[in-house]
Amino acid sequence: MRIQNLFTLAKPALSAAFTLALAAATSAQAVEPDSEWNAVLEEARGQTVYFNAWGGSDRINDYLQWAAERVEADYGVTLEHVKVGDIAEVVGQLEAAKSVGRNENGNVDLMWVNGENFASMKRKALTWGPFADHLEHSDKVQDSPSIKNDFSVPVEGLESPWGGAQLVFIYDTEVTQTPPQSAAELMDYVKSGGRFTYPAPPAFHGTTLVKQFLHELTDNQAALAQPVDQATFGDVTKPLWAYLDALHPMLRGDGKSWPTNAESTRQMLDDGEVDIALSFNPNEATAAVRGGQLPDSVRTYVFENGTIGNTHFVTIPWNAKAKAGAMIVANFLLSPDAQARKANPEFWGDPTVLNLDSVNDEQRKAFNDIDLGVWALPIGSRAVLPEPHASWAEALETEWIERYGN
Amino acid sequence: MLLREPTRLLGGAVLLLFVTPLLAGLFGTVLPAFGLLPGLAETEGFTQLFNDSRFWPSVKLTLQTGLIATALVFLLTTLCLVCVQRTRIWRWVLASLPPLLAVPHAALAVGLLFLIAPSGWIARLFSPWLTDWDRPPTAWVVPDAEGVSLIIGLVVKEFPFLLLAAIAQLPSLHVDASLAIGRTLGYSPARCWSRLILPQLYSRIRFTLLIILAFNLSVVDMALLLGPGNPPTFAVFLMTLVSDPDSRAAASAGALTLALGVFIVFAGLFLIERLMSFWSQQRRANGHRGAGLKLFRAFGQWVISSVLLFSVFALIMLILWSVAWRWRFPSALPQQWSTAQWLTKSNTLFDPLLLTLCIASATALLAMIAAVIWLELERLQRVPKLNSVWFVPLLVPQVTLLFGWQAIALLLGIDGHWLTVVYSHWVYALPYVILILAIAWREHDPNWHHAANTLGGGYFRVLSKVHMPMLVKPLSQAAAVAVAVSVAQYLPTLLLGAGRYQTLAIELVTSFGGVDRRVIAALALLQSLVPLLAFLAALIVPWLVLKPRAALWQR
Repeated sequence: MRIQNLFTLAKPALSAAFTLALAAATSAQAVEPDSEWNAVLEEARGQTVYFNAWGGSDRINDYLQWAAERVEADYGVTLEHVKVGDIAEVVGQLEAAKSVGRNENGNVDLMWVNGENFASMKRKALTWGPFADHLEHSDKVQDSPSIKNDFSVPVEGLESPWGGAQLVFIYDTEVTQTPPQSAAELMDYVKSGGRFTYPAPPAFHGTTLVKQFLHELTDNQAALAQPVDQATFGDVTKPLWAYLDALHPMLRGDGKSWPTNAESTRQMLDDGEVDIALSFNPNEATAAVRGGQLPDSVRTYVFENGTIGNTHFVTIPWNAKAKAGAMIVANFLLSPDAQARKANPEFWGDPTVLNLDSVNDEQRKAFNDIDLGVWALPIGSRAVLPEPHASWAEALETEWIERYGN
Repeated sequence: MLLREPTRLLGGAVLLLFVTPLLAGLFGTVLPAFGLLPGLAETEGFTQLFNDSRFWPSVKLTLQTGLIATALVFLLTTLCLVCVQRTRIWRWVLASLPPLLAVPHAALAVGLLFLIAPSGWIARLFSPWLTDWDRPPTAWVVPDAEGVSLIIGLVVKEFPFLLLAAIAQLPSLHVDASLAIGRTLGYSPARCWSRLILPQLYSRIRFTLLIILAFNLSVVDMALLLGPGNPPTFAVFLMTLVSDPDSRAAASAGALTLALGVFIVFAGLFLIERLMSFWSQQRRANGHRGAGLKLFRAFGQWVISSVLLFSVFALIMLILWSVAWRWRFPSALPQQWSTAQWLTKSNTLFDPLLLTLCIASATALLAMIAAVIWLELERLQRVPKLNSVWFVPLLVPQVTLLFGWQAIALLLGIDGHWLTVVYSHWVYALPYVILILAIAWREHDPNWHHAANTLGGGYFRVLSKVHMPMLVKPLSQAAAVAVAVSVAQYLPTLLLGAGRYQTLAIELVTSFGGVDRRVIAALALLQSLVPLLAFLAALIVPWLVLKPRAALWQR
């Protein structure tokens, strides 16, 4: 499919050469965020949607491949998954495009974001919309604070929910009988020879674990729901740094060498280099066991008092070229079909954002029939702690890098 | 009017196409570094760069890994020439070099990781029967914070490059004669090498050594896979800066600093050369003959074999992991095998493969055309010989040029275009293609042209029927090298392709660590196979072309 693209791109390029590329691409952009759905459908047909989404998991990549086949067949929209390592880089590219005045024909039509990246896009007016509440399936979405607010930042229709997530731990019952149930127990665990490490912030999972530690250790939990206040940041985070100072020398790599993402901790668990892997997907272990990536003896759990959870979204940049197509894709990703497949660990295994009372019986059956397996996080064990305000991520990452990053 | 011969205008076009991006890259890096590029970078970048707490640690790490790796590459090359040449394993060494050169850095790095990690194959081979390890040891990690893994990777990959460059020079140095004379005068063979041959050889491989040095100090893909993360090497640190719009100026300032740093290191090397040449003159004059060192030769042979075997085993790792299902420590072989990766992940594997092949063929074709045009004009004495110009992209750190290209491409709105990507690959492939072909072109006997012309052949007829078939060997080799260069390009594809061109190199580096290890192994294997097959084709094609021209074949 990509190759076909190459050739269709080649034709105008050869005739018009480089400089004309700008002029050649200015086609009329009719669709508005609140256009009639039929108008969106019509304009989207034949469009190519570049979806910039984290490409670090082959299951997710396969899921998007499936979505691409479906939107091509059902809506005539070509979906290209642009795999990125860190979506913050894409936010940076958009910001660069904005500052050079490239307000049309941008390289990104749809992107996978949440938290501080959404907050920064919203602040810098890099989003288009509000489009999310005009999507066909938006009426089926759960009515929950973590969907209305993304890390305490009001969403206001500028991004469309895609899935839920919670920080979970995977361990091997053949190696570890009683896994640590809190930050304090984790410290004892590594002291007595347990093998552990976490992805270095700003890697998403690493930052989340640091937030988790902070939530457990700070004396001032209320401060976390508010934007970071530089005056009190030192006081609020003091117990966290004391904890990490003591923890790091006992980690794999002595706190000097870090994995770059959570998937590597899963691989290290399989290799025996660590005892506990991190994931943001409660059903990851099931998928991994079935896919031959983890032994049968692994199980998933969360800390006694719960772990941080959140929702992830898709958004459309203000300068997207195929806005109608992007709306169609965002809408398709919300459809009961796509959500049920996403909730199935065989394909992805991410908790749905839909309210199952609002879908029809047949669709509900698709959700209920999913076999989560014994390896996944048992239903009912999900005490979900709220994400701190979006500004905490960057503040914690900067401080972490300052202290441990060199 | 029909074109009868390549004109100077055509040569000018080739040169312009080649030089423009070099200058544009310079401008696109220099302007933002000083805050002179409105929109992209409006602040001066050096202050921000020098104040970043990652600056000095990453510079130190880069110097440490780059210099040690280069020194080891040089030592190994000399060790190999002194100890291994004219022994039984020499033939094997020679045969292994071209394929090892063809394997891309990223693929080799992945294979090495599977080999040297605590849970890697070397540890597995000796566990638990010898080491008593039921679980992987915790004494080291890969990648490590000191950069040892990166040094290993760079040495294993760059050593064959320098060795091949050195071997190419041996015939013109009359090694056998030098050895014979030296031996007659009573010098041990090692001393013949160090006193007589190496000083001559050094000046001839110095340029290759500089290319390796520049590469080792500025490599990104291998440093991402094998290098430490906190701090990373300087070039990788710059990559994190360039993706943050507030740091564009600092990233550009860093790219200039890196280029400057590389040239300072070059200057340092020239200084060391001076000292060495003074010292070696002293040593030559002192008349010591030295004793034959059998043990030293055996040691050298052992070291060289191990280094080359590292590469070979790294490739074997890729094959094994790509067909493994379950393979846990400490099993030396997979516990369960499967072809599922190859059969069910065909999109993940073969889309990037096809794209890589398309870009590599376009690059190779365009580079060959440009090189032939230029060398023909050179032969017809319509353009000067510009040896040093072609080297520029190989001596300037890739990030330095590419940050500039990316800035210019952003401003022109041509980033994310496939022609832009091919163009950038072309700039990196052309130097190698021209350098390979130049030797053949310049040595080609002009009498063939005179004879063919006398027989009534027009310019293009002679070129296509006589000249090119006679040079089919170097032409095929050059094309294979161009393919290998293109297949390995990570940074140009990433920065100019706006992430849209998921070639094997991009797929491998960006998804490493996240995606299934077995799929990573398959991707790396494919990335190695493309250039390997290109080199194989470079052996077969000349044979097919020359077979009907048997008289030429025997020449």
